Amino acid sequence: MAKVKVATVWLESCAGCHMSFLDVDEFIIDLSKLVEFRRSPITDIKGFDDVTVGIVEGSVGNEEEKEVIEELRHHCKILMALGDCACFGGVCAMRNTLDKEAVLKRAYIDTPSTYKGKIPVAPGVPELLDKVYPANQIVKVDCYVPGCPPEPEAIKYGLTELLAGRIPVVPSNIMRFD
Amino acid sequence: MSEITLTINGKQCKGTQGDTVLEVCLANGIEVPTLCHYKGLLDIAACRMCLVEVEKERKPVPACAYPARDGIVVTTNSEKIEKYRRLVLELLFTERNHLCAYCVASGDCELQSLAYRYQMDNARYQYAWPNQTTDSSHPNIVMDHNRCILCGRCIRTCDEITGAHVLDFGKRGWKTNVCADINQPLGESSCISCGGCFQACPTGAIFSKISAYRGKPSECTSVESTCAICGIGCDIHGLVKNNRVVRIDSPDMTKPRGLLCEIGRFEPLYEAADRITTPLKRNNKGQLVNCSYEEAFEAIAKKFGTSDGIAGLASGKASTEALKAFADLMEKLGSKLVDTLDGDDCRTITQGIAKFDGKSGLDIEAKLEDILAADSIVVIGAHPTKTHPVIASYVMRAAAKNKANLVVIDPLRNPFTFRASVWLKPPEGKKEIIIGALGKSIVDHLPAKTATASNKYAATFKDIDVKKAGKDLGIDVHDIVKAGEVLAGSKNGVIIYGSGILQYKDAELVATILNLAALIGDKPRVISLKRYGNSRGAWDLGLVNAKGSVAADLAKCKASSLYTLLADDLTNSQELADSMKGVEFAVVQASYRSPVTEKADVVLPSLLWTESKGNYTSIDGISKKTVPMVKANAAIKADADTLKEVAKHLKK
Repeated sequence: MAKVKVATVWLESCAGCHMSFLDVDEFIIDLSKLVEFRRSPITDIKGFDDVTVGIVEGSVGNEEEKEVIEELRHHCKILMALGDCACFGGVCAMRNTLDKEAVLKRAYIDTPSTYKGKIPVAPGVPELLDKVYPANQIVKVDCYVPGCPPEPEAIKYGLTELLAGRIPVVPSNIMRFD
Repeated sequence: MSEITLTINGKQCKGTQGDTVLEVCLANGIEVPTLCHYKGLLDIAACRMCLVEVEKERKPVPACAYPARDGIVVTTNSEKIEKYRRLVLELLFTERNHLCAYCVASGDCELQSLAYRYQMDNARYQYAWPNQTTDSSHPNIVMDHNRCILCGRCIRTCDEITGAHVLDFGKRGWKTNVCADINQPLGESSCISCGGCFQACPTGAIFSKISAYRGKPSECTSVESTCAICGIGCDIHGLVKNNRVVRIDSPDMTKPRGLLCEIGRFEPLYEAADRITTPLKRNNKGQLVNCSYEEAFEAIAKKFGTSDGIAGLASGKASTEALKAFADLMEKLGSKLVDTLDGDDCRTITQGIAKFDGKSGLDIEAKLEDILAADSIVVIGAHPTKTHPVIASYVMRAAAKNKANLVVIDPLRNPFTFRASVWLKPPEGKKEIIIGALGKSIVDHLPAKTATASNKYAATFKDIDVKKAGKDLGIDVHDIVKAGEVLAGSKNGVIIYGSGILQYKDAELVATILNLAALIGDKPRVISLKRYGNSRGAWDLGLVNAKGSVAADLAKCKASSLYTLLADDLTNSQELADSMKGVEFAVVQASYRSPVTEKADVVLPSLLWTESKGNYTSIDGISKKTVPMVKANAAIKADADTLKEVAKHLKK
């Protein structure tokens, strides 16, 4: 049987979800027999090809991230949101109570350690979106594994279910939001 | 109350007419998820988690507010209902900024655990991301509106249980928020800091500063004990982690003595002062140095053996066991000069009661529960909001809920005054004039039948001229007349008095208050606010000197030695230290360094009430037990044991 192709992307987040994914211990050996990782921060492959499962870690907070998640959605059959940021907005969504200008000013000008700061404007620096969005407010998401970071158990459960051809819903006992 | 039968999930369930569907469900072991429901509070159906289907109802109804009727058919667990509940959760999560990853309540949050239960792994709605504030102006309580679900549990607790009604909903519709007073910062509001709000809060919207991030309930051991601080004897539920009390809750706020106050909830969480951990002995350079228990006992035995007069002083902070051992020690020493630090209060009260009816003693005093049942309350010379806040809550509850007539006699504004039917503002002193005038005014308004019945008591006031009294006090006569008018009809009025009366050491005043109390009830109901957690226990043991204060004239009373059992008492220590000047040899048994221990020749360490097992008698005579919440320093002996050891070492 051909290996299932999986792509993962790391958007606005801390990479903790990918780390928690690596925390599934020996399951990763079994997994590598069944799955081929394409584009992923782990493989460092750039560019998309068509995959069966797309996994998104992180929320969508700027133009580039929006483009990436749209591209991933375009190339995958099933999209899984991994972690609180992708599922709900998470820590990144802290800025959502303020407007974009106030956030940029605070980060680049007002911070006590900043001397003569200015807001970066240059071609290639992606524009911030007005808010930080969870993945499902930008594209259609098929399943979710929340947690900050998600329990390795929950990640394992999610992938096992997907490999078995089912859409996973993390059971209550291993679901965590923190 | 007639019995009714409902069909819930196909099961026949019995209930009582007047129950809500939720109550019947809970009584029959059918679980219904709730958020805004809180035991003992009025249900307001704010959260919609408890939606159930009722046959013939057009749409799902909230079980907590739907009256159970005979024969209705209820479904609590259909697929449709479960779908609605998940929808409600998603709406709650998207309405404000519920971000568990950095919320203090994560792991101890009812909203979160419901979201887990309903496997809410995403929200289908647009997030509102409102710009909510966090109010941390209060020294102990933080209000984070980002996490609020507007269930109103804090508000109802503040109103129905604490009686303060500081919190309420402010603004309208989408902008509705919990606010204190007229939308003031909590720290500047009239909040009495009882902490009921954060105990009731199902999320992390209101939390205690000192308990935050110090341990979730799941990581703590919990201990059921009694608060021994002020003498009300409230039940407490302590959460302990790493041998530190991290949080104190009430096991059931709606029960009598279940409500907590600022003092009980927060004081034990702070280390108050310099702890004494070993016995200390004064060396020949005059410094207090560490020594062993044996050395300390020897030194005490040596001095006490040769001393001609030995006085003993005990604080009402010590447990009954310690006080009993203290009394035994003093008896062995043959000392007649034994007293408690608040002995004056006891003498004034008991002599006052003796003047009133000659016999009944302290048992004539009312129970705290009488306040809740009272139809009128007089507060005179007492500030329970500061000294016994739970009593203050009872008064405010009685005034708000039972419409009890509250008469406050105090020159200064306090949290009661705005709830008072009449607020009399006599100048400091002159308490006998105002009490007399009030008594006369009540007698004037008594219905003819009662007037004869309580003739004996009414006679006390018959010669008083209310007009003249008003003039003497500089207060409006109409106020006194009005106070008499509102109090005259009472059947079970309660009078609360405290240090403002007792400071005059005038037994006559206490007797007059009892007479006044007899006029506003079928029997006199008075409650005197005692200074220490176990004052009443010490008084009941007969530790109070009948003749007069020992502490006040230590210099005169020819005692060359003194044994002071201070326990964890830090009040008035300077005053006591000053009065110890003439004493040759002083032993002090205390938990903390204080001016008193600095005057001592031998200091013995003492446990805190949070560390020891003991009995404490409440101000209305109910004995309650404390259980050690934290493990004490093993080198410190229990108070009673120390005292017994001292007695054993005496040669006599």
